[in-house]
Amino acid sequence: MELEFEAPTTDSTVKRINIATQAGPLATFVITPRRMVSSRPLVVLHGISRNARSLVRHFRAEAEHSGRLIVLPHFTASHWPHFQRPGHPARADQALVELLNRLAIRFPDCGGRVDLVGHSGGAQLAHRTAMLYPQRIARLSLVAAGWYCLPDMSMPYPYGLGESNTRSAALWIRRKQAGLAAYLELEIRVYVGSRDTERDPALRVSSALDDRQGRNRHDRARTYVDAVRAAAHGHGRVADIALIELPGCGHDFELAITEAGLARMVAETSDMTPALAAAG
Amino acid sequence: MTTAFETQLASAKWTFSTRRVDRTLATGMDTAFEKARPGELILAYVSEIGQHRRVQLESGRHSDIYPGDAVVLACGARYAPDQFEGLAEILPKSADLLAGGGCIGRMVARNERIKQATRLIPEGRLLRADGAALNLDDFAVRVSARGDRIPVIAVFGTAMNSGKTVATAQLALGLRRAGWRVAALKGTGTGAFGDFNEYRDTGAHVVADFTDAGMVSTYREPLERVRAGINRLLAHAEDAGCEIAVLEIADGLFQRETAQLLADPAFQRRISGLVFACGDAVAAAGGVAEMRRHGVTPDVLTGMLSCSPMASAEALGATGVPVLGKNDLSDPAEANAFALRSGAEWRSAA
Repeated sequence: MELEFEAPTTDSTVKRINIATQAGPLATFVITPRRMVSSRPLVVLHGISRNARSLVRHFRAEAEHSGRLIVLPHFTASHWPHFQRPGHPARADQALVELLNRLAIRFPDCGGRVDLVGHSGGAQLAHRTAMLYPQRIARLSLVAAGWYCLPDMSMPYPYGLGESNTRSAALWIRRKQAGLAAYLELEIRVYVGSRDTERDPALRVSSALDDRQGRNRHDRARTYVDAVRAAAHGHGRVADIALIELPGCGHDFELAITEAGLARMVAETSDMTPALAAAG
Repeated sequence: MTTAFETQLASAKWTFSTRRVDRTLATGMDTAFEKARPGELILAYVSEIGQHRRVQLESGRHSDIYPGDAVVLACGARYAPDQFEGLAEILPKSADLLAGGGCIGRMVARNERIKQATRLIPEGRLLRADGAALNLDDFAVRVSARGDRIPVIAVFGTAMNSGKTVATAQLALGLRRAGWRVAALKGTGTGAFGDFNEYRDTGAHVVADFTDAGMVSTYREPLERVRAGINRLLAHAEDAGCEIAVLEIADGLFQRETAQLLADPAFQRRISGLVFACGDAVAAAGGVAEMRRHGVTPDVLTGMLSCSPMASAEALGATGVPVLGKNDLSDPAEANAFALRSGAEWRSAA
């Protein structure tokens, strides 16, 4: 482990670690608050801008505020040209799970359920990882994903869980169906900027996607929430999911943090105050 | 002062199947071989090298054997269509090394492509101070749990060498990678360290086989005893905090104990996942039909056939059961799906 971001004015420490996983090496920033409480760690996944280092600066204050361990994997372009969607080109899901297994040796709370946050491409990875390993997630916070794998059997994979001729579709559908009931029981929060309506070059566009999920991230977020509610209803449950619109925000994660307080929203937990009090 | 008997035992090669034995309890020997029961410990001398040129030591390594070597083994039967069939019987003048893991008995059939069994001269049955014969059963793992809670994924196969052990090990590896505390168990067969070591190499949290349940071999053991042995292994896994178990059942579906387990309603109820290892598509079709005749259908096919895309497609077409390769089984996403389908309860990453 190497120490970075040492700043005498703050009490938290940030370490950058590199772990070997079966899917490839994964660099990760680990923020340890001065007063760490026994609480669910928070894992934050960057988007296609791969701005983990910048996000560390934003989330460092949240670690101090909440007393939570905050983990920010860095999917570097050299090792992870594709990371958003677990599949043949890359298995970021495997790397994430192995990261948690390794961290659990030093931080036992990482062996329990964690809160997983992802922005844009990171939100794509986050919800797909939660579908595959729902038992490892407590709260799933998705910020402006470009598109989703909906829990919808009528929509062909990869946009839904219906049959499809795409490569390895049957394999992934079966894996995700196995965890579907547990996935639909997760606490899910979906965030999207009220102005995140651009069809920028990074947004995946296809007629099938536009027709079934919407033409932009804002509309697709709403479609996802509706799909989760419908799927949970089909399982005889009421989904614990909410759509939170970020007023005036576009697609920029850091602006959403500085202008709408997004980092605080995803980092806060209902049991935080008593836990911090207990930690002194 | 060391006695001649103690010197004999100390210089003997103690085989893998005897690894749980407390040697200090062996205080004497008799030659009442006609009374020998499965699991009893026998001191024997190598008289003529045949098929087995080595034995597996309790330490987990092979040892070459030479005429005149002293070996401690357990009396047992052997079922191995590519080697021997043998019975748990010891003749006073000569016996057969039925398995290198430490099984001594009487060979009754031999695959024509292999040599005669390595011949042994039995020296004596090892006895306790009270005169009772020492038996592996005396050293079975002690358990407190009941073994009726942990989810079990059973691995069956069409025959020996169809890929069951690879499937068991790779699935255990995938489960461990997904963060589950996993037990890799072998429920039936003849004691040997090959499969055991392959399981251990995956990092499974508990590795055990029927020798840990007190049997050198499950061949010709009553179903109740085999089932009790499996329950003991599952209880051992529960005691160690395992959340899920992968259980290999040896040999092919028509093997005596395997067929009994497959047809056993209690065993069927006990398992929550089923993997079937097959050599080829025809074997897959026949095996799945046989399983369905007993009212069960495997969740996936695997084994040698999974190496061939064409054979896999044929098997899928003939059975409707998906085919997974070893890399699929060791994939934490796939293994996690097995765990979730089987109702495993997540506690914390192991």
